[in-house]
Amino acid sequence: MAQQDRIVVTGMGAVTPLASGVQATWDRLIAEQSGVGPNTRFDTTDFACKIAGLVPGAEAPDGFDPDRVLSAKEQRKSDLFIHYAIAAVDEALTQAGWHPETAEEKARTATIMATGVGGFPAITNAVHTVDARGPRRLSPFTVPGFLPNLATGQISIRYGFTGPSGAPTTACAASAQSIGDAVRMIRAGEADIAVCGGAEACVDPVAIGGFSAAKALSTRNDDPPAASRPFDQGNDGFVLSEGAAALVIEAESHAAARGAQVLAVIAGYGTSTDAYHVTAGHPDGAQAQVSMRRALAMAGLAPGEVGYVNAHSTSTPVGDAAELAALGAVFGGAAGQVALSATKSATGHMLGAAGAVEAIFSILALRDGVLPPSLNIETPMEGAARFDLIANTAVRRQVDHVLSNAFGFGGVNASLILSRA
Amino acid sequence: MRRVVVTGLGMVTPLACGVDETWTRLLAGQSGAGLIQRFDAERVTTKYACEVPLGDGSDGTFNADDWMAPKDRRKVDDFILYGMAAADQAVKDSGWTPENLESQERTGVMIGSGIGGLSTIADTAVLLQERGPRRVSPFFIPSALINLVSGQVSIRYGFKGPNHAAVTACSTGAHAIGDAARMIALDDADVMLAGGAESPICEIGVAGFNASKALSSKWADDPTKASRPYDADRDGFVMGEGAGVVVLEEYEHAKARGAKIYAEILGYGMSGDAYHITAPASDGNGGERSMRAALKRAGLEPGDVDYINAHGTSTMADTIELGAVERMMGNAAAKATMSSTKSATGHLLGAAGAIEAIFSILAIRDQVAPPTINLDNPEVEPVLNLAPHEAQPREINVALSNSFGFGGTNASLVMGKV
Repeated sequence: MAQQDRIVVTGMGAVTPLASGVQATWDRLIAEQSGVGPNTRFDTTDFACKIAGLVPGAEAPDGFDPDRVLSAKEQRKSDLFIHYAIAAVDEALTQAGWHPETAEEKARTATIMATGVGGFPAITNAVHTVDARGPRRLSPFTVPGFLPNLATGQISIRYGFTGPSGAPTTACAASAQSIGDAVRMIRAGEADIAVCGGAEACVDPVAIGGFSAAKALSTRNDDPPAASRPFDQGNDGFVLSEGAAALVIEAESHAAARGAQVLAVIAGYGTSTDAYHVTAGHPDGAQAQVSMRRALAMAGLAPGEVGYVNAHSTSTPVGDAAELAALGAVFGGAAGQVALSATKSATGHMLGAAGAVEAIFSILALRDGVLPPSLNIETPMEGAARFDLIANTAVRRQVDHVLSNAFGFGGVNASLILSRA
Repeated sequence: MRRVVVTGLGMVTPLACGVDETWTRLLAGQSGAGLIQRFDAERVTTKYACEVPLGDGSDGTFNADDWMAPKDRRKVDDFILYGMAAADQAVKDSGWTPENLESQERTGVMIGSGIGGLSTIADTAVLLQERGPRRVSPFFIPSALINLVSGQVSIRYGFKGPNHAAVTACSTGAHAIGDAARMIALDDADVMLAGGAESPICEIGVAGFNASKALSSKWADDPTKASRPYDADRDGFVMGEGAGVVVLEEYEHAKARGAKIYAEILGYGMSGDAYHITAPASDGNGGERSMRAALKRAGLEPGDVDYINAHGTSTMADTIELGAVERMMGNAAAKATMSSTKSATGHLLGAAGAIEAIFSILAIRDQVAPPTINLDNPEVEPVLNLAPHEAQPREINVALSNSFGFGGTNASLVMGKV
């Protein structure tokens, strides 16, 4: 790539609790709909948390129909997060118009699909098979199901992408880091174009039981659409949800040479570590500030030039407060001019797919001049009020630069700056 | 781009806990294989594995108390424990313990795992079914998440730079080192701890790989003979456990603080087979492209490579890799040495690429190629010298290490003398 070549986005795809497809998801998001409902995936009788953000099935309008992307046989051999990943990637590649034919083009295409927790459901299912029927009854597809990198593997096989591949597995920051990794690979000259993002489908007894035990989940079981409420004083934990999001990104010169439409520019990426606690964020978000400042520095922007922040905040009291503290420190006096919302209020927390789906929302905000709302804001938390909080209703406003944050267990922080082309 | 060197090494392997202890046994042709002791292997087909030798910490044994306090250890899966031990060794070896915030913010961690907390997840699934969800430990999620090796290491040392977990099955360790080196090269950090950790030896792990027909199973009478890459009697890989971590550092940064420099990361290449989720393409094209990409990045020719640490796992894929390496090396193949140290350590999955990068670095330091043990009867007549049975002293200025993983993901690292 040329030295000053920017990295641009030319394709997007998403499967979310709101809908299957980017436009259908976005329409529902800005119409203030929620993807959170009762958890019907398994019997939740004994569980404290009985809600989740499940991807609507084929029977629902704009629901997810696996038959559209995979044969019945292929579906049996792979896990749900891979089905979602393939649907999202398919949509992104179609929009980008990237269907390489030559060996050289395929070898210059990278595949980097992240996941937050990897093969939890596959491992659980295998344990139950072993318990009930003995270890010799396991299918040969068991081990591939354990592996977090198999969404990447399946996608590279499906499209013949023989370039670099990877699968960041960094909890809730995973897919923001997959975008950052793809940017680095293109900048380092190892690929011309990359399909990146993340997928997650772990709404199962082990994950719900585990996150519940960690006191991380909302138990607002009587009113699921009101459960995910980042920045509201009534927040009581996140809502575990599922889905996938994919972006096609490439060097601007590569996009121009093939006549691809540029949707946005990835102007900045920053990452850092709390080095503080395995599950709790640092209370003043000290290192989250570093991650945001690094992204701003790479983009060459002052904080005041950012028009909208798509926050990481997941609806946990401690986590939301820490991000607000970090945002307050970074934006200082400019905070009042900066729009802020947390779209997890509508989607729930898609873990390893969250960073990528929120990058897509950021790009759509740039494209349409519409800022998506933070739902369920009744009494804003201290620290949220100093920003221009997009509470409950979408706002029509054209901005030029958006900051999107993604933080994860283990103290990992990642920030992206998306800018108008 | 900035130059990246290696200034610290740490490992926990089935041969021993510690770099020197492991290396000595590797060069002596010892095997880390034995009958499974981690769990009752009655119900599974394969009865043996390469387990980390447990003990009081003397004579190369692994004593968990040396690396994590008992109360902290209960909150982590073994892969995190091994990763912490390897990281601790590497940090001490490098002497890099920054106290000021700016240096901490320029130091990151990228330690991956192929699977992560397999036995913890399996145990929790059983617990949940038998005793209900309210008995699940609050530490279950952070004890099993793959990126919590990197997270725990960052907390212990205050490393606040990039924190990441590359996960690419059996090439995880190599990808982690390559990706971390790229971060330093692109100026996102000055120092990175990089590597991999794995603890897959539990009933579900062995049963799963048995179901994939990937594990050796016919050598229960003498497990030390079971891992035999390139040999006509090989019948699958032997599962191993452990961790390998290196300290990577920007060259001028290392020089300025007078650090001991082991080697330079000269090149890193990656590719995808785009062929099959578990089987490598029979033409070995993916592996060949990843090696060529690494050499191109290093600015070297195939003939410059003295030693290759092969991926060779003791499966049918060994000869595919052998063919790819010989094709790439061309006329230079006859003067190069290649060995598979998995013959001694077994296959550490996500940690394999990291410990093998360390073996390659030590081969450069000591000018000796570690052996491929158990290679009694090569299936095909190699052009390369496969260093059967015994370590071979030789000139080694440049070493190449291959790692290939399920999903068709390939990584190659080129390391050289500084």
